[in-house]
Amino acid sequence: MDLNTFLDTLFTEAGKAGLEAAEAYVIEDESFQAMATNQEITKYSSNLTKGLSFRVKAGGRIGYASTEAFDTDAVGWLIRHAKDSALLCEDTSEQFIYDGKEKNVELKLEDETGEPDEKLKFVLDVEKTAMEYDKRVKKAGYNTIVTGKQTVRIVNTFGMDKQYTATHGVAYIMPVATDGDSTVTGLDVQVRRGFTGLDAKALGESAAEDAVSMLHASPVPSGQYRAILHHRALADMLEVFSAAFSAENVQKDLSVFKGRLNETIAAPSVTLMDDSLLEDGIGSRPFDAEGVPGGTHAVIENGVLKTFLHNLKTAKKDGVKSTGNASKASYSAPIRVATTNFYLRAGDTPYEQLLKDMGDGLLIKQLEGLHSGADSVSGDFSLSAKGFLVKDGKIERPVEQITVAGNFYQMLKDIKAVGSDLTFPQGSFGSPSVDVGKLSIAGN
Amino acid sequence: MMKAYAQEVLEVALASGGDFAEIFLEDTRSSRMQLLSQEAESINFSRLHGAGIRVFVGLNPVYAYTNETDREGLLRCAAQVASAVRDQKKTVLTLPPFVSPQLPAPDCIVLAPSSVESKKKLDILRAADAAARKVSADIKQVSCLFLDTEQDVIICNSEGLYVEDTRTRTRISCTAIADNGKEKQTAHEGPGASMGFELFKQRVNPEETGRTAAESASLMLSAPMCPAGVMPVVIDGGFGGVIFHEACGHSLEATAVAFNLSVFTGKLNQKIAADCVTAVDDGTMPHEWGSTRIDDEGMPTTRLTLIENGILTNYMIDKLNGRRMGMAPTGSGRRQNYSFTPTSRMRNTFIAPGKDDEDEMIKTMGDGLYAKKMGGGSVVPATGEFNFAVAEGYLVKDGKIATPVRGASLIGKGADILMKIDRVGRTMTMSQGMCGSSSGSVPTNVGQPMIRVKQMTVGGRAKE
Repeated sequence: MDLNTFLDTLFTEAGKAGLEAAEAYVIEDESFQAMATNQEITKYSSNLTKGLSFRVKAGGRIGYASTEAFDTDAVGWLIRHAKDSALLCEDTSEQFIYDGKEKNVELKLEDETGEPDEKLKFVLDVEKTAMEYDKRVKKAGYNTIVTGKQTVRIVNTFGMDKQYTATHGVAYIMPVATDGDSTVTGLDVQVRRGFTGLDAKALGESAAEDAVSMLHASPVPSGQYRAILHHRALADMLEVFSAAFSAENVQKDLSVFKGRLNETIAAPSVTLMDDSLLEDGIGSRPFDAEGVPGGTHAVIENGVLKTFLHNLKTAKKDGVKSTGNASKASYSAPIRVATTNFYLRAGDTPYEQLLKDMGDGLLIKQLEGLHSGADSVSGDFSLSAKGFLVKDGKIERPVEQITVAGNFYQMLKDIKAVGSDLTFPQGSFGSPSVDVGKLSIAGN
Repeated sequence: MMKAYAQEVLEVALASGGDFAEIFLEDTRSSRMQLLSQEAESINFSRLHGAGIRVFVGLNPVYAYTNETDREGLLRCAAQVASAVRDQKKTVLTLPPFVSPQLPAPDCIVLAPSSVESKKKLDILRAADAAARKVSADIKQVSCLFLDTEQDVIICNSEGLYVEDTRTRTRISCTAIADNGKEKQTAHEGPGASMGFELFKQRVNPEETGRTAAESASLMLSAPMCPAGVMPVVIDGGFGGVIFHEACGHSLEATAVAFNLSVFTGKLNQKIAADCVTAVDDGTMPHEWGSTRIDDEGMPTTRLTLIENGILTNYMIDKLNGRRMGMAPTGSGRRQNYSFTPTSRMRNTFIAPGKDDEDEMIKTMGDGLYAKKMGGGSVVPATGEFNFAVAEGYLVKDGKIATPVRGASLIGKGADILMKIDRVGRTMTMSQGMCGSSSGSVPTNVGQPMIRVKQMTVGGRAKE
């Protein structure tokens, strides 16, 4: 069945099933992916898919079922399973299917996604640039381009029927550099609104430089070090620890910030934003997964905790308005809370000045193992790190095989200076480089 | 039904050249239920449905996938693939008729997930939750998940292969959070198998799952921080095997080896580990979490000895990388679902039982760390650099287990660590995980007996 016929049938049948309300969340996806290795195309994928998540209210509770098959069987299967899910659910908090009367901001989220042949040329060019940048670059791993066009549509029994279309273009490469007995990898990623914004030369060169700069890296002795977290490392950390600002986690007692609104929880230089309307933001969208319009919110303003991020359910519980942060991890996932464009606002110290002001210490450029070595509940982290030893404000030598450990929430208070180099290295999480004071380092 | 027009679809896929074409069709029903604060918090049923069509032109693959799996949908998808094929030779293949190969008998599923009432599944979670909460007053929050899937696949290709299979898996996971008002500690247990609901009669006691997670969280809450430094480390069995999985296993996958992105490229038949190390990747173990009867390229799975007494004996190889390496595939082609192209992946991967006494290896280690439970980790395949969290650790003083410690992590390079293993215990145990790589997230077992590494860098937060 085509989508409109399917939706008509689904809502007609749902009407007969004794549901209080029902909503279909549909994603239609056009995606392209190509990878090149040794100047050959080693991966090529071009796809057209759609998925539908059906959310119903029965007995005051919410139930979910989702499908990628759009046949007659799927209609009955969805209604039966969504209803079953609602009736078993014991979450007594008030739940919503939104009437969608508020107007959305118009956002420009579409750009050219490129023709297959020019995208193949792009990945070949990235590899070539990286290899030619320095003769010690021997290989170029994971050299990939991904483009996509996604239409999100929400239709419900309150008469809501809204949609938006967004495109994206992503490219990344991990060059391997070898010199003598030293082998290191580098990485760079570009995340843009479409193919047009991607730059093969810049990507190849910066990833190659990232690799060769680490050649002959070695550990430092264990101990306490002054440290600057490079914007790339801190943006990755923000992704993990943003969980503490989700009202859902706060209400589930999974956040150290429970009951601490309007308290000072960070250094005065810290302003943490979630902005779903950010121009050029890859996480931007006119409305969230419940159809609630997006907004610009300071989560921490000058060190003071101002708000948590909400969807309709968590907002009702706290007696506040939804911040428009309802989110689904995939079309089939239940509605949760997630960040949109989440970033630490730029300070006024230029990057070079941060290093100068620190004098001696470590510049931590990259962190590994964040999914296991960082605990968003306690804030504790213990992560494998790479970076540079800094002497007299200047980079002395590359450092690897160390772990950096600390507590993120304590670190927010210890921040000495925030750089002016705000960057969104991998998409929707952004950060400047930051002088975080002292960190515990395990090396040799 | 697809058999009637599959040949036609393959022919269209090969219309502009290519020397191999394959259809992978999937219909998967899953349920996912979460119990939080003793309430069924979210219950989600989903049906994944789609097909992927793949063509090789020598070493160049082209792939497309779709949800429209009727004849017209598949023909459209095949035409999409053909439009991207760049074949100078314009190979024209004559397709042989389909033959369904003789396969080993499937593991018997007693209680298929779709035949069991959702209520009963929730009761399993309630049992785990209650047992966890009984452990200590410090256990303030427990989150339990029930997951099951039934995946029907049809795989056919231009070499005449046509196979169908059903993969059934069931798992629970329990996360316990201990909280003393000042700090929180989480611990996790997640047992599962290639079984239906009979899992809970035959293998997994949900109470034990809940209790084990809670005991670990509660113990770690009062533990002091682990000191940093270089020291001998004993790593226990079960999830301790994640160290081999991450630091060595990924580097033995053709995905890394074929592109010379692995430290083990070109090292076949060479010594890469200490003599006491034998390691296996086995997709055939009955009912194990990482087992399948056929891989996602339709080939029967195998038992592969990766390392035998320290010598590298096999890589894990998929069809396309097999071409690149000039080696036969090993039934290791796996993918999360139809939206991924398959590549070489681990199945049930473990260090085989050795000859050493577990008590002796701690007694003779002097001062060091006993990592009883590992957390997750990650690795850079090109260099084998890894990073693991220690979920439950103990300091060993003078050969005696002294105090529990938290916040520890283990870092190093896979190739170095393999050579530094100096003890391998006698009893191998396995744990279940989801392994992420370029073909998505697939169920894998990790495992090992208790082992000892002479020297390892331990990251920790205790002040000097």
